[in-house]
Amino acid sequence: MGMVKDCCMALGLMLACSGVFADDAAVWIGIKDAAWNEMYPERIEAMRAKGDALRGESEFVICQGCHRAGAVGRADGSYPRLAGQHVSVLIKQMADVQTERRYNPKMQPFIHLHEILPQHVADIAAYLHGLPVPPTQGQGSGDKLEHGRLLYEKDCAACHGNRGAGSDEKFYPRVSGQHFKYLLRESQTIRDGKRRNANPVMVKVIKNYTDDDIAAVADFMSRLPVRP
Amino acid sequence: MRSSILRSPSRWILSALLVSSLAPPGDARATDARQIAATLCAACHGPDGNSTDPSYPKIAGMDRDYLARQLKYYASGQRRNEIMSGIVATVEEADYLPLAAYFSSQKPLPGKVEDARLAEIGKQLYADGNAETGVPACAGCHQSNGAGNARFPRLAGQHQAYTLQQLGEYKTGRRAADRLMVTVGQRLSADEMKALAEYIAGL
Repeated sequence: MGMVKDCCMALGLMLACSGVFADDAAVWIGIKDAAWNEMYPERIEAMRAKGDALRGESEFVICQGCHRAGAVGRADGSYPRLAGQHVSVLIKQMADVQTERRYNPKMQPFIHLHEILPQHVADIAAYLHGLPVPPTQGQGSGDKLEHGRLLYEKDCAACHGNRGAGSDEKFYPRVSGQHFKYLLRESQTIRDGKRRNANPVMVKVIKNYTDDDIAAVADFMSRLPVRP
Repeated sequence: MRSSILRSPSRWILSALLVSSLAPPGDARATDARQIAATLCAACHGPDGNSTDPSYPKIAGMDRDYLARQLKYYASGQRRNEIMSGIVATVEEADYLPLAAYFSSQKPLPGKVEDARLAEIGKQLYADGNAETGVPACAGCHQSNGAGNARFPRLAGQHQAYTLQQLGEYKTGRRAADRLMVTVGQRLSADEMKALAEYIAGL
């Protein structure tokens, strides 16, 4: 069993190193079926560590070439906004990318354990959480906000909160203040079962969403007030 | 694991303090350093670290600890260069830091942009990277003015040919002490490298 897993990981690594960033987890056969909220040593260590925001700020310099200074992200959706996100969510996502539970070959080399230790993950999370969230995130067309609102209130608000604040305790991300195009892409990826560390409850809830439904909800979320 | 320890900023400060405290007292080493610079380094790097031959890097004004670390890398074989490896082998380790301090304290001379149109393309890439191929903005680590620091080297004003050669060495993995730069080198196209080298020369 262990050997099979090793072989899968080796092959996955080869694919990841091929320089192709196709957003297709069908070709990704690394750690399969990772439980969405699985606890594993790197993540546990980062969660137990006491994050130091000042150290996190100096570690974050290697991230800001993509996520930009202040972690405001990019409106084109290429890199998400991280400022103000919950510590538990940031640690989960960083550790998941680090250990290839979330497929992100673009980011992986930059957060590899050679570069970023669990203590650094905790430090960076503490720094990012404390950053201000400017109301400058990219938004959608505004065409179907009412449709988006209805879907959000029916399917999303129970976990992500009425105002998109998410939950640190439950590892649910804050969605307010996030760029529309990033919300759009990740929601589609989750719906299509391609984001391997997604919450299966969410996958089920949005399974039958059309692209238009997702665009409407993403647009609605991108317009939620940045401070709950 | 070893490199992640090296990369931790607090460890950097610690090791810098440690290295400083190991340096010999007084001006003797500083005088030695100037002599070593004049006899061993000046022929290629220029007497003040502003080389005129673009195949040799300008090292004036680079961070002291960064320069001392490169000498260590040449000595240990982590960085390879036929000329540098031979010369560093003749320098005592105790002289690395004073030598680095000497060149670090010299005033860097600006480079010269030869192709303004190319530099303009490089500027965009330097400031914002290439999101499609996952190239981060150079400015993220090396700062918008290319001044660099102990961890990330100064780039501003460097000869185009040297920047280009080093990016090529990262791409092939010949220079690999910094794994992040190997990734960046692998993701940069030949045209992007040229544009960056052109822009950096003018910083």
